[in-house]
This record gives sequence, structure tokens and C-alpha cells, in this order.
Amino acid sequence: MGRRRAHRTQTDIELNLAAMLDMAFQLLAFFILTFRPNPIEGQISLRLPPPQATTVVNNAQAAGTDFDNSNPVEGVNTLTISVFANKSGMIDSLAVGEGQVPGLAALAGRLKTVFSDEGNPFDQVIIQVSDSCRYDELMKIVEVCTHQTLSNGKKLSKLSFVAIPNG
Amino acid sequence: MAKLSRDTKAEPNVTAVIGVVYILITFFLLQANFKSAEVDLSLRLPVVGSARPVETHGQRGLLVLNIDKEGSLRIYGRPIQDLAGYIASEAHVARLAARIQPAVDGVTPELPTTIVIRADRATPFKMINRIITECQKNGFRRFALKAKPKES
Repeated sequence: MGRRRAHRTQTDIELNLAAMLDMAFQLLAFFILTFRPNPIEGQISLRLPPPQATTVVNNAQAAGTDFDNSNPVEGVNTLTISVFANKSGMIDSLAVGEGQVPGLAALAGRLKTVFSDEGNPFDQVIIQVSDSCRYDELMKIVEVCTHQTLSNGKKLSKLSFVAIPNG
Repeated sequence: MAKLSRDTKAEPNVTAVIGVVYILITFFLLQANFKSAEVDLSLRLPVVGSARPVETHGQRGLLVLNIDKEGSLRIYGRPIQDLAGYIASEAHVARLAARIQPAVDGVTPELPTTIVIRADRATPFKMINRIITECQKNGFRRFALKAKPKES
């Protein structure tokens, strides 16, 4: 017996994508025009406590107790670096403590010598800077300081800034 | 030659185009960093070889301070006139977020927020120090000094 196959009419459903495409292109144009890639920036992370006295009073010896002057620097844990700038804001001269250093390379060498000494008491640095010193010049000093390693093996990250008024 | 009937419609297949467009939209949407609005791109940062990318260690907040070469603080492009008031209000917000009690007996508790300083390379130290000192007064101790790495 012959079987008749039912013919199914094929209905084409067409979606009108024109509006969606329009919107998609508008969104795309918006994002392309407002696209601003993040600049590649680095940073130097520091712990900057407010400047304090360069001698820790609790550890300091009472006057007249050390007749032999056996440990004259006990209690002094802050190294002072002075940065003097000229009128245009560039570094004019540098000093570590009381001693002058001729340049950045000499400063790095001096700091390395100081911090590599096992008996050194320093764990923080105060940088005294002329008011007029430019930020990029100051960052050179900060970079040299943050490269230093303390006697306990940690990197030096405790810095303080003090302004030297321009005379 | 075969003649096309009037009912014949020529419709391009736009499915692939839409696919590509949406992929592009997704890319730009994910790339859009709305936080970059707080960064003043007109500043010329100093170049420092050892500058490292931001390390936020997860949950700690950042407060970005843009300082132009005249030394004025700019937030989202607007200059801030009342520096002390602005830093104090940010410190207050940071204190609330970290649930830290306000200063007791004049001792300001340390705040976990990192101050990100983006200063122009020509900014005099006096101006930067004024802002750092104000931050320190309000309990901020963690600072990040922004610079461009040498290779960029």
C-alpha cells in the first residue's frame, strides 16, 4: 500500500539584524574612541614616618654612665643624608652625616660601606632636601637609598624627608 | 542567461560580522579601566630604573595624588584648594573603612591606605613635602612614589 508523505512547507524565519548591527557598531565606535591604554608606570614603595629625633632616647645612655666611652653611638639609629640643590633645582652637593660626597655613585658607595658594616646601628634614613630640589633629582637619591640592604638582610625602606629652606 | 525573478532577495550573511563585532566590543569593554580617570596623564613622571609596578597586596586601598609642576594637587583633573581638608576627609574615610579609632591623646593611628604620589618631574620638593607632611599628620605612612621605568 502506497503511503503518502506529508509535505511540510518550509517557512523561513528571518531576523532583522540591521538595528542590532547598528547598535553594535555604535558601541564599538564608542569603546574605540574612548580607549586609553594605561601608561606603563612603576613605583618605589616606601614607609615614610614623620621625621623624628635621630636618637632613640630609650636606648640612649644616661649622661655620665659611660666613662670609658665604650659605645658612643648607642641609640643613634638614623642616618642623615643632606641634598643641597642649586637655583634650578638640580643637585649641587651631597653629604652623608657630616661628610661630603661628590656624586650619586659616591653616595651609593658610602651608603653601601655604612650599611654593610655589621655593627652599624642604622635602620632608617632622614633625607634633608633643599626646598627647590626637583622631584626627579630627589628620586635619584631615593633610588640609591632603596637599593641599600640593612645589616639584618632587609631592604632599607624607612625614609623621612626634611626640608632645608633655601637661604 | 538566467533571469532573476523579482522576488529574489540578496541578503548578506551578517552573522559572522556580528560575531566579530561583539568580540571587539567585549575586548574594549574589558580593557576599559575606569580607575584610570584618576590618573593625570599630562604629568611628566621622573624616570627611575628600579621603579616597580603597583603592588596592592589585595585589599589595601590606594589614594592617588597628582601633583603638577606648580605643586598644586589635582584630583580627577580638578585642582584642590583646601589641601588639609581634602586629606583629612580621605583619612576619615580610610579610618571608617578600616574601622580604626580616631586619634587618642594626639597619637594618630596608622592607616592601611597607600598614598600614591604622581608628581611632575619638575615639581619642587617644597610642594611635595607639604603634601607628604599633611598625609603623615593624618596617619598615612605607606607611600608609593610613581616613576617611569627606564625601558619605557
